[in-house]
Amino acid sequence: MPWASSQTLDRIKHAFRKITIDTQPNFVCLNVEDTQEITNILKHLKDIEDFRYFIDFHVIDFPKEKDRFLGQYILVNPYTFERLAVKVWFKSNKLPTAKEIFPGAKWAEREAYDMFGVEFEGHEDVKRMFMWEDYKYFPLRKDFPLGGIPEQKLPSLTEVLEGNTFPPSHDYDIMHTYVPNMKDIEKTEKSRITKKGQLVLNWGPLHPGTHGTMWFLFDLEGEHIIQTDVILGQLHRGMEKIAENLHYFQFLPYTDRMDYLSAVCNELSYVQAVEKLANIEVPLKARYIRTMFAELQRINSHLLWLGTGALDLGALTVFLYAFREREKIMDIIEGNAGFRLTSAFLRIGGVHYDLAKGTLEVAKYFVKDFYSKLKEYHGLLTRNRIWLKRTKDVGVITQEDVYQYGLTGPVARGSGVAYDIRKIDPYAAYDLVDFDIPVGDIGDVYDRYLVRMEEMYQSARIVEQCIEALEKMPENEPYVNKKHPAVIPPKEYVFNDLEDMVKSFRIVVHGENIPKGEVYSSGENPRGELGFYIYSIGKSSPYRLRIRSCSFYNLSVFPKVIYKHTISDAVALLGSIDPVVGETDR
Amino acid sequence: MNDIIFTAVVIAIKILIVLAVTLGLGAYLTWYERKFAGHLQARRGPTVVGPFGLLQPLADGLKLMTKAPILPRGVDTKLYYMAIMMALVPAIMLFAVVPFGPSFKIMGHEIKPIVANLNIAILYVFAMGSMAAYGTLFAGWASNSKYAFIGSLRKAALIVSYEVVLGFAALSVILLAGSMNVFDIVNAQIKSGVWYIVYQPISFILFLFCLLAESGRVPFDIQEAEAELVTGYNVEYGGMKFGIFPLAEWYLNVLALCAIASVLYFGGWAGPHIFGPFSGFIWFLAKTFGLLFFVLWVHWTLPRYQAKDVVEFAWKYLLPISIINLVGTAFFIYFKG
Repeated sequence: MPWASSQTLDRIKHAFRKITIDTQPNFVCLNVEDTQEITNILKHLKDIEDFRYFIDFHVIDFPKEKDRFLGQYILVNPYTFERLAVKVWFKSNKLPTAKEIFPGAKWAEREAYDMFGVEFEGHEDVKRMFMWEDYKYFPLRKDFPLGGIPEQKLPSLTEVLEGNTFPPSHDYDIMHTYVPNMKDIEKTEKSRITKKGQLVLNWGPLHPGTHGTMWFLFDLEGEHIIQTDVILGQLHRGMEKIAENLHYFQFLPYTDRMDYLSAVCNELSYVQAVEKLANIEVPLKARYIRTMFAELQRINSHLLWLGTGALDLGALTVFLYAFREREKIMDIIEGNAGFRLTSAFLRIGGVHYDLAKGTLEVAKYFVKDFYSKLKEYHGLLTRNRIWLKRTKDVGVITQEDVYQYGLTGPVARGSGVAYDIRKIDPYAAYDLVDFDIPVGDIGDVYDRYLVRMEEMYQSARIVEQCIEALEKMPENEPYVNKKHPAVIPPKEYVFNDLEDMVKSFRIVVHGENIPKGEVYSSGENPRGELGFYIYSIGKSSPYRLRIRSCSFYNLSVFPKVIYKHTISDAVALLGSIDPVVGETDR
Repeated sequence: MNDIIFTAVVIAIKILIVLAVTLGLGAYLTWYERKFAGHLQARRGPTVVGPFGLLQPLADGLKLMTKAPILPRGVDTKLYYMAIMMALVPAIMLFAVVPFGPSFKIMGHEIKPIVANLNIAILYVFAMGSMAAYGTLFAGWASNSKYAFIGSLRKAALIVSYEVVLGFAALSVILLAGSMNVFDIVNAQIKSGVWYIVYQPISFILFLFCLLAESGRVPFDIQEAEAELVTGYNVEYGGMKFGIFPLAEWYLNVLALCAIASVLYFGGWAGPHIFGPFSGFIWFLAKTFGLLFFVLWVHWTLPRYQAKDVVEFAWKYLLPISIINLVGTAFFIYFKG
């Protein structure tokens, strides 16, 4: 278990008498009483105790408490892989900034300001992260209604043309939450960057190089970028707010729509967080199925990265070769889950369906074929001179950057940090399969490319082992733990068994209360560590659900690395960081 | 008097034929490329419109022509339209000095299948190649768009560097042939029985680089670079106004330069007389399309260079190599020739 050991906690307790330690089965945290003390404690943790890997910072809102907001840091010791949370109350809405200690906290603090309206002393340019400038509210506060605050008239077309009709032309309310107009967007753009170079290039929000609705501002001197800012939020849907208002099982399909290229992995991270909180055992078969699909999804996601990354650098054909293999994985997922992209295949306590007939044979054939296809990709790119020229020594991310900005996944491993949740905190069936973690050397684009290519190979190996294990299992092995009160029984039981039908009704209508407690649990997504922090007060929906997004933190290093590089390098670097906007914005 | 009228008629016919053939070929090259790329990428290319998708270029043209004409705000209207002409005209003009086959006789007159039999044909090719850069530059400047502007600047840098290399590469062939006239160059190769690619392999490779660079093909398509600059200089053009640019640059320019390359290095129409009277023409087309095939193959396989690398490559490596090659050839001719 990667939470901080009691010896470590004792040492910290010894150094700072004022703090209290709270140990739960899936969560260990320090409670810091004094707000001013937090900088010292973070420094101490970073320098003396080696908790130098910044994972997350988020805020929880307690409107009834004396100090309304609770800030929480999650740090990791990259040498022993111990994890530790640090809690601190905001005194009068203010907290000293941590961006000097962990530059990765800069964006996290901006997000906290954007969503909660809290302030950070010493953080000068706390700007909105997702919303536009001049937005008046702080949506994640508990007193902000889920539906938003209606303040703008948005008439339908019929109303514009014919005025108010009776009966009304539509059945929704004419008042709508405020929709930003061009002026707001322009103001946001202006506030982000002061021109220093020759011209400011707007790169996005819709641009083929950004793979989504990301908006970069490049301040160019010749072709060299001397200043960058990223404007996020075009795909912001307020997932965390939505989660607070849904039952636990209802939020599952939403996770698909975060990192839409690795839906199964997202579900897996979420589902296991809830399972840890509610103490649900998962049957072995379900664990193997989850592992197999998560790894297939990883191959799928990496193939898309390979295709689009190569397309960005001008290699047009690799893109279609990658999509050819993706199609086969999509078919396997579709055959089992019924959906191709946002599959909603996993369930709390197991998986939705048993394996479809023939899945294992198809998957087996796919894996066998995939090794040779992987060789083909290597042949096209790995030793190609132009490819080397474009990727070698471009966009170098140092190990220190990895720790300080909270970079995870292939980006971290490309820089030589062997941080892989599948190994250090095995979930699903990862402790039962054999695989290696590839790590890079200097952390340039080429290293990240090699790491991802090798990861695909390892994933194929894992899939092979899962197939082997699943083939040995008897056919009527349970694939969902339906005995647990919080698990919705599968449909075949619901239709044939009175008890299960009643249970299904009960959970679907009222939800099942999950015991009080906190959990931070993460999974290794194709893009990095996707963590879910859940604060439960014993209700059927979480009090606070924080999504620790890997793309978001991975992207935060972009402005630093791209400094004094060209636009062409920006494309290569962005392709190698591989962010998905659905997840950066949530 | 009669002779003058005859010559005028013949030239008019030649121009008409060349225009029809090149523009038609240019359109059908899009089909060829799409089919080729399709099969290279494990798909089938156009199949729906007509047999084997053969009517696809017509459908594309129709689609482009029926697009709503849009003039973006803030453009320099005169330059904006002039850029289209400046891109298309030099590309077509290149075909004026392409010899499609050996001379033949009709009604006692010798007719050369070339529109303008210039004695400085190769110089003319360089001139027209440089002219094409203006189309891109004007388009980038007039569009009032940063992407277009950066794209056109890149193209200008590229043309400046590769024109020089192109000149030195072709000069060594001219030294060997002792003439700049395309007919003389081909006849010299036929007479000696050896294609110049044997004597000048380095020069041929340099010429190929320049061909790819001048026509904006991968790995030198930095002015388009769709992932960085969307499509670069032509981003603000729509409909057929847009369609002209790739037609001129990607197809006509490539085709003409491939034809010139086959004249310079592969003996033009030289080849065994196995196809009867049309043997020369067929050989010439086969060589040209063989080179074109190579260009497409490269285009659909390789990644692209960075802008600064492309220019650096030209000045640091290609230019010295081409000069050494030229000087070497000169010494060889002076002492052995």
